[in-house]
Amino acid sequence: MKAWQVLNGGIYTTLQDIGRPGFMKYGIPASGAADRFSFRVANLLVGNPLETALLEITLIGLELLSLHDLGIAVTGGDLSPTLNGIPLAMWQSLSIKEGDRVAFPKRKAGFRAYLAVQGGFCGPKLLNSRSVFTRGLMGSTIQAGEILKTEREILSSFSPKKILPEMVPPLPVGNALRVILGPQEDRFTPEGIETFLSSAYCVSPQSDRMGYRLQGPPIEHRKGADIISEPVAPGAIQVPGDGLPILLLWDAPVSGGYTKIGNVISADLDCLAQVMPGDSLRFCAVSLPEAHEALRNETACWERVKRTIEGQG
Amino acid sequence: MPWPRLRPSGDRAVLVEFENRIDPQVNRSVRSLALAIESDRFPGEVLPAYRSLMVTYDPLQVDYQDLLGKMEIWIDRARNIELPPGRFFRLPTLYGGLRGPDLIRVADAARLSPEEVIRIFSETHFLVYFVGFICGLPYLGGLPEEFQVPRLANPRTVVPAGSVGLAAGQANLVPTDQPSGFNYIGRTLIKLYDPQAFPPNPFIAGDQIQFVNVSAEEARKGQGRWATDFL
Repeated sequence: MKAWQVLNGGIYTTLQDIGRPGFMKYGIPASGAADRFSFRVANLLVGNPLETALLEITLIGLELLSLHDLGIAVTGGDLSPTLNGIPLAMWQSLSIKEGDRVAFPKRKAGFRAYLAVQGGFCGPKLLNSRSVFTRGLMGSTIQAGEILKTEREILSSFSPKKILPEMVPPLPVGNALRVILGPQEDRFTPEGIETFLSSAYCVSPQSDRMGYRLQGPPIEHRKGADIISEPVAPGAIQVPGDGLPILLLWDAPVSGGYTKIGNVISADLDCLAQVMPGDSLRFCAVSLPEAHEALRNETACWERVKRTIEGQG
Repeated sequence: MPWPRLRPSGDRAVLVEFENRIDPQVNRSVRSLALAIESDRFPGEVLPAYRSLMVTYDPLQVDYQDLLGKMEIWIDRARNIELPPGRFFRLPTLYGGLRGPDLIRVADAARLSPEEVIRIFSETHFLVYFVGFICGLPYLGGLPEEFQVPRLANPRTVVPAGSVGLAAGQANLVPTDQPSGFNYIGRTLIKLYDPQAFPPNPFIAGDQIQFVNVSAEEARKGQGRWATDFL
């Protein structure tokens, strides 16, 4: 069903779902929504299955005209969403009318917002996912003039739901990311590790969903930055020969040949979706049990949110 | 074969490392272990590489220590696994000029003439050790000893599809326009990636590739054709 006409595609708006787990050995990156919490909440608020495709909106500019009465929800970073020019409440679902305009004119906080529509966004399914991965020739960014359709016919009944403001995870304070050192921590000098854990690194403009290039004090290797290429996962922090770390993210390669000083823990990956070029990051080391404990806490937080939404009928 | 080293790679993957060299025998151990894990239907991803293998797990479902215990059983089973034979691809390739912007640098580093680099490289049978990076880039071994050239200190943000390159004792072939830190000496015009297909790429670990030096006219005949036409 035709749901939207795109008036302005914004700077980088893509369809995303849970991505392509299981295709790593074919050299296909994981992809999928960068901020998984916001992605799942948005779908749940409009009554979609959790893995339904939605729009990931980056920074500024997206403007849509609705072609039908729709149920929608906006979550994630605060890009000042508006409905017909009036501020639109985030983290709750609402009904909009045919002819309404939804826009994202100005960043207030964070970097990526999520727009879910009842019935889900439609797009080509490649290798089991609708997630756009432009470098892999899988879909493209949303452009002005495009018509966006829903995957399923929209049900007539729609009951708005919301989550409480205190349930919305806070944006990272000081951007201190927890990492597990390694697997090549022994390829850096003690001073190099100390530099990494004590410095602030600025996210360079040469950053995208594939990875954030970081600028700051160079990290010292013991002897060379090359390793025999090996598998890597989102969150890995590679340090090439110039000593400046590259944080690998959602569309990152599945293998790489630079030494890795550490991996950002799973519980801290979502907040990276809300970090933008120019922001600074810090790193602190934790143990594997601490990382797993953090993931359990994050999961418990999500479960509470899920029960709250489901409890609203 | 010495017992591999196991260590965490982040909080949801374990890295299994065999001997630290690019060697067909070491890679056979890696591929055997991948088959052993896959035949046990473990609910995680298994990515074999040159001399190491990563297995992902869900820390909410699987305890790391239990996974290490399972891994010992899989490593043991892998010793008795028979690997299937590979195929041989002969890919038409254009060397030097705009197609191979790093040819001169590679020649200088190897103390060879560009013509000698092309001759030696194009006569080599490269072994596909694994596919990875993005879009199923085949990682190739068998690079002649002469070519000891490091990766670029600052990787290029994009190199064109079909580029044939080398660095740090490894060769590679770029399936789509993508970033890379390798030195590129040539390019093939055949199609190496199709996300509409499954699998999306033609090569699997164990295959062999030769980058045959051809004229521009001959290279164009291969344009857009799938690599399996060149078996």
